[in-house]
Amino acid sequence: MRKIAVLYAGSSHQYRSFTEPKYQPYIAQLLYLPKLASIDLNAFDVLIVPSQIHQEMVTMHMEQIHAFLNSGRIVVALGAQHQSWFEGHHWEFRPTNFWWWREPEAKSGLVLSKPEHDLFRYITLEDATWHYHGVFFPRHEVESLIEIENDGSIMYIDKTSTSGTLVLTTLDPEYHFGSYFMPATERFLDGFLPWLANGQI
Amino acid sequence: MSVHTAADFLLLDSGASFSEQIVRDGASDPSTLVLDQYEFATYDLLGAAHRFLIIDEFIDQELMLEQKEKIEAFLNQGNILVFSGHLFRPWIPGAAPFVPKTIYNHLDYTIQVLDHSIFAGVQSEDITYNKGVAGFFARGHHPIPEGAEVILRLAGDEPITYIDRLSTQGTILVHAGRNLLRYRHENNSAGRIGEQLRRFLYEEYDAMPIRSVRI
Repeated sequence: MRKIAVLYAGSSHQYRSFTEPKYQPYIAQLLYLPKLASIDLNAFDVLIVPSQIHQEMVTMHMEQIHAFLNSGRIVVALGAQHQSWFEGHHWEFRPTNFWWWREPEAKSGLVLSKPEHDLFRYITLEDATWHYHGVFFPRHEVESLIEIENDGSIMYIDKTSTSGTLVLTTLDPEYHFGSYFMPATERFLDGFLPWLANGQI
Repeated sequence: MSVHTAADFLLLDSGASFSEQIVRDGASDPSTLVLDQYEFATYDLLGAAHRFLIIDEFIDQELMLEQKEKIEAFLNQGNILVFSGHLFRPWIPGAAPFVPKTIYNHLDYTIQVLDHSIFAGVQSEDITYNKGVAGFFARGHHPIPEGAEVILRLAGDEPITYIDRLSTQGTILVHAGRNLLRYRHENNSAGRIGEQLRRFLYEEYDAMPIRSVRI
């Protein structure tokens, strides 16, 4: 089982999501962001960068995060952040449509681009379906897992741009679960965290 | 660091991307000083002559807990704290941790607008629903301190928003949702909240009894 650490900046949604008892077995440690420089990341296999975190403080620690990644480990970045922390994702903003399911012939637009991937033994497309805040057009060779029809990827794995593994998504499940909003995000985390801990990445 | 400023509002910037709009609004408002949350510990809050401390849902509550005494001293100078979010650390005098509401039906999210100047003319449906979807505004509450005035409730009477004038010599407004000052861009009655809240804060500040003692 991989040891997963999470960047933590004291926000209520991060606290709720990553101290939730059912997710506890998968979270080895919350790493308090302002103190990150004094923490040895070598003790961990996976580092999660949550959405809605103090962006500038993350930027200040990018060298340390990239050193972790380049030592062959896994970095997971979640949610609505267009920062250039990880090279080549080529994020494009998309306006959030959170009401798509109320429209006639409702369609989220999400499709599984690699349904045979191990992640989908843990979650279904429905579990990843609420809304998204942007799309990626990655410039490296990546495994795109979830895409928007006739548009970019919203979740992919990149094993080529660094010596480690990047899992990037424009989905923000921990923000919504931690804010008590949007039930699909709980089903997503129910599968996603066990996959990060035990699945084939 | 000692800064004297004329800005009445001090807005703490939590640095999250979803706070960027309120930070932009604050930066373009001459009555607001935006301060990064991680500069707050070294900031001379008690000497800076702000009247209103504005803190939103993404704030680092571990940091706020470390700064608890400074915030209480600011309130005891006869100032006002507005916190919008879900409390999980005890850094606001008199306040209790957020209690999420169990939702069975979208009607459970219906907001009851009580008679208060901040919400004058605000229609319940304009804050309960966004493009027909309920739940954005509030999904739980903070149990109120004794003597607090409740100004919004959920369908089951849970107090979403309260004003506490007793726990300190200042005034504390706690709202279990997103920053109330950001409700100014909506093209319905929800857009009244931001400006009406600002007006209320000035009236509340002027009416506070401590100031007559101080002068």
